Amino acid sequence: MPKKTGNSQYKLLAEKWSNRHRNLQSELFSNHKDAFKWLVDNSKQLAVGSLASIFLLSSPVVAKIPGAISTASAQVSQAIDRKVFLVYDLKNVLPNDVRPLTADEEKNVSEILTRDFGISVSAELDGKRLNTTYGLIGQEQHLPRYPGDNIFNHFTSQDESGKYWSYGMTPGLGAWGYFTNSSGTLTQTDIDREKYYIAVQTFLSPGFDNNTKEYTDFFKYRKMLVVNPQNGKAVVSDIADAGPSPWTGKQLGGSPEVMNYLERVDGSQRGPVLYFFIDDPSDTIPLGPVQY
Amino acid sequence: MKGKHFYSHLIEIHEIYLSISEMDLKDEERNHLLSLAEANIHATVISTVLPELSEDDKKTFLKNLVSNNHEETWKHLSARVQNAEEKISKSLQELKKEFLRDIEEARKS
Repeated sequence: MPKKTGNSQYKLLAEKWSNRHRNLQSELFSNHKDAFKWLVDNSKQLAVGSLASIFLLSSPVVAKIPGAISTASAQVSQAIDRKVFLVYDLKNVLPNDVRPLTADEEKNVSEILTRDFGISVSAELDGKRLNTTYGLIGQEQHLPRYPGDNIFNHFTSQDESGKYWSYGMTPGLGAWGYFTNSSGTLTQTDIDREKYYIAVQTFLSPGFDNNTKEYTDFFKYRKMLVVNPQNGKAVVSDIADAGPSPWTGKQLGGSPEVMNYLERVDGSQRGPVLYFFIDDPSDTIPLGPVQY
Repeated sequence: MKGKHFYSHLIEIHEIYLSISEMDLKDEERNHLLSLAEANIHATVISTVLPELSEDDKKTFLKNLVSNNHEETWKHLSARVQNAEEKISKSLQELKKEFLRDIEEARKS
């Protein structure tokens, strides 16, 4: 018997899953008729914040052919789709092992990231590049932003404090020293630069030893797009420290906030990220998680 | 509480999405299957929860659901349904297995 084509496989699954949903829906509406009737009768008085929640129950999408999917449904699944496609696309171009990418691989990855995030990224900027664009990320601590900044006054909310207090603060300073001179001159830019910082091996970048000053100036707070290729999460980060040491086996480090958002951890469970320069000469791209 | 739905933290659907993405499908077909998977997950959660609630609690639950207040939804469910999290997780795990089995069968057929 000949194998089914992609289209036949789709039809098979679509029919099966549509039937399953239809049965569930019918069972739900008949077993809990009064509650749903009450909801319909009172929908105007209720704060309906998510049409998706009911739309998914009574969804006509299950019966419709592709292309006739409503705008609401498309919006509901859009964020998921984009992440899934990104993960899938990256999976096809990344090697199985974590190693520096070839020029072709870097080109493919930068094209995918630029297209999916709408942010122009590249492995090389102004003739400068890091030792790698694909590496294992480790956990860093908070950096002191000004003299006197400590773990007790570092956070702006209780929620932040509860989440990130335990990571502690480095005893030393970041590669560029304090972010500002005092708490009085601390700006939102300084706060974000520390919050979303990464440490990269600037000292291993080709050409660094010959032009240390020029390279140091280039790397200072340079924005990079950091992406977890396994879940599609991405953060616009800035370089605020140099490290880790090559002997650690890691290629970069992330602030507690960066690691938390990317869902990356240190130790035996550590994993890779992609990190590419962002071309943002007018400084218009904000630091922080990139929303789909 | 993070996530698109109040139960988002109880199911890791990445695997399902990846399996669908790996099939040789057009974008619109892939989107449609993803929408169907999401709709089934949602209906499964609701059909797990509603039988556990009184008529008044069903209304409160549905009201919380449409207001998109995940925290309030969970608070209410936890107070009214014994082991709500376990029950939902169990249903979702079973559904996930069925999805993956369906995909595997479709790819082999």
